[in-house]
Amino acid sequence: MTARLLAGLSAAVLLPAVLLLLPLLNVAPNRLVTGAPVMAADALGAWLWPAVALAALGPGLLAASRGRTAAGLAGFACLGAFALLLAGLGADATDLIAGKPFPTRARLASGAWAGGFVLIVTLAVAARRTRLPGGGVTAAAVVAGAIGCLWMAGALDALSLAVELRARSDTLGAAIGEHLVLALGALLLAAGLTGGLALWRRGRGVVELTVSGVQVVPAVALLGALVAAVSALLSAAPLLRGYGLSALGSAPAVTGIAAYLLLPLWRGQQAARRAAGPGQHDAARALGLTHRQILVTIRLPLGAPDLLGGLRVAAVQALGLATLGALVGAGGLGTLVFDGMAQFAPDLILLGALPVILLSLTVEAALGRLEAALRRRWPR
Amino acid sequence: MRRIPPGLGPLLLGLGLAVASHPAVAAFFGQEGASRPLTVGRLAELALNHVTLAATGLAVVTLLGVGLGLIATRARFAPFRGSIDTLAAFAQAVPPVVVVALALPVLGFGGPPTLLALTAYGIMPTLRGTVGALDAVSVEARQSAQAIGLTPAQILAYVELPLAAPGLIETLRTALILAVSVTAVGALAGASTLGTPIVAGLQNQNIAAMFQGALATAALAFLGDGLLLAIGGWLQPDHRLAAV
Repeated sequence: MTARLLAGLSAAVLLPAVLLLLPLLNVAPNRLVTGAPVMAADALGAWLWPAVALAALGPGLLAASRGRTAAGLAGFACLGAFALLLAGLGADATDLIAGKPFPTRARLASGAWAGGFVLIVTLAVAARRTRLPGGGVTAAAVVAGAIGCLWMAGALDALSLAVELRARSDTLGAAIGEHLVLALGALLLAAGLTGGLALWRRGRGVVELTVSGVQVVPAVALLGALVAAVSALLSAAPLLRGYGLSALGSAPAVTGIAAYLLLPLWRGQQAARRAAGPGQHDAARALGLTHRQILVTIRLPLGAPDLLGGLRVAAVQALGLATLGALVGAGGLGTLVFDGMAQFAPDLILLGALPVILLSLTVEAALGRLEAALRRRWPR
Repeated sequence: MRRIPPGLGPLLLGLGLAVASHPAVAAFFGQEGASRPLTVGRLAELALNHVTLAATGLAVVTLLGVGLGLIATRARFAPFRGSIDTLAAFAQAVPPVVVVALALPVLGFGGPPTLLALTAYGIMPTLRGTVGALDAVSVEARQSAQAIGLTPAQILAYVELPLAAPGLIETLRTALILAVSVTAVGALAGASTLGTPIVAGLQNQNIAAMFQGALATAALAFLGDGLLLAIGGWLQPDHRLAAV
C-alpha cells in the first residue's frame, strides 16, 4: 500500500517539475534564432496552477491505482492538462508578440514539448487500462478534436508553428500528397516484385540472400548510387533521354525505397506460406478439397495476419524513407525538412517532420489493429 | 566437405566495393562535366570519420540497449515487458533523417546531432533484440542452473549469455547496419562522413564523387556485417565439430 502511494507521489511530481523547471516558450526576434526562454510562471499566468494540478493528478492516479475508474479519471486529467497547457501557451504567445515587430516569433520550447509528450503517453496508457473497446482511438480523436477546436477558435495563431504553417499551407498540402504517392508507389512496386519472386520456387535461397543484402546498404548510398548509375547510363546513351528517363526525380526515389521494402514483404510472405501446417493440409485433402479451395479457404485466411504484418512494417518504412526522396529531387515532406535544415529554421523542420511522424504512427496503429483483429478472427 | 566460414560473402563483397570506390575505378563513370573523383587520402579521411562516429554511436547503443534489455528480462520487471514491443514499434516510426533534422536546431551542425539520432534510433531495436535473444533461452536450462545452486549472476554469466550469444550477435548486426546508415544521413547535418560526397555530389552534379561515397559507405556496412558474422560463427560452440 505504501509502495503504491510512493509510486503515485513520485509520478505526480514528474510533470509539474518538467513544466515548472524547463522553459515553455522561446521569444525570438525572427524565425531563425532561438530567442529568450519564458518560464511557466510568466507563460501561463492564471492558467498555471490548474494546468499543473491536473498534470500532477493524471500520472499520480495512474501510478497509485490499478483500477479502471482511476485510469478513466487519470485520462480526463491528462486531457484537461493538455488542453489548458495549449490554450494558455497560445494566449501567452498572442500577448508576447503583440506590439512587437512583424518577424517576432513565439516558439514552443523544451518544457512544452516534453510536457505535451508525457501527457499524451500517459493518456495512451490510461486509455489502454480502462479496457473500454475503442478507448485508444477515442482518446486520439479527442486530442485531435481539442487541437482542432483551439485552432478553429484562433487560440493557437500566435505560435510560431502556426505562423510558419500559414506561410506554407499550399506547399505543405502538395508535399503531403507527393509523400504519399512516393510511399504508395514504392509499396506497390515492391509488392508486385515480391509476388513475382514468390513464383520462382527454385530461387528462394538466392532471393532471401539478395533481399537481406540490400538492407545492409545505407539508404543515402543506395539513392546516390542509383542517381550516379542512371546519369552514367544517360551520358553513355543519350538516346534514352528521349524516352523520359532522367537521373533525378521520383523514378530513382521509388526504386530505391522499394528495394528496402522487399525484405519485410518477403518475410511476411514466407511466414504466410508456412502458416498452414502439414496437419491442416492433410485434413483438407482428406476432405476432398481441391487445390484452389485449400488456397482460398485455408491457406489465405491462416496466412493473412503474416502478410499484413509484413505490409505494416513495409508501409511504415516506406513513409520514413520517402523523406529521403527530396534528396534526389522527388519532392515530398523531405523538401520542407531539408529546406529547414539549410535555413536552420526549426519551425520549418518541424512542419515537415511532424506530418511524417503522424502519418507513420497512424499507419502503424491502424495496420497493427487490423493484424490483431485478423489473428483473433482466424486463430491458428 | 568443409563449410564456408560465415561472413566470408559480405567481407568479400565489402572489399570489392571498397576497391571500386578507388578514384581510378570511379573515374570510368561520369567522365564528363563536373565529375571530379575524390583522392584516396580524402576518401580515407572521410571513412575514418565515419567509422569513429558510427563506432561511438554503436558503443552507446550497445551499452544502453543491451543493458536495459538485461534489466528488462529480470523477473522483477515482468509487468513492463509488454510495453517494450509497442514502444519499439512506435520509435521506428520516426525515421532517422527526421531525428537528425530535429536535433539540428538544438545541437548545431556536425557530429552531435548525428550521434543523438544514432542513439535515439538504435536503442529500441537493440533493446527488443536483446530481450528476444534472452527469452529464447529455454526454461529447462535456467531451472537446471537454479537447481545446481547457481546465483542469479552466475546463471546470467554462465547460462543465459552464452546461450543467447547468437541472438545477441544478430541484434548487434542490426545495430551496426543502422549505425553506418544513420552516420551517412548525418552528412545532411554537416557531419563529415562518407555521406558527404553523396550529398555534395547530388547538389553539384559530381557523379564520380557520388559513386565513390555510395560504394565506400556500402563497403563499410558490408565489412562490418561480415566481421560480426565471422565473430558470431567463431562464438558458436559447435563450430569446431561442424568444421571437421
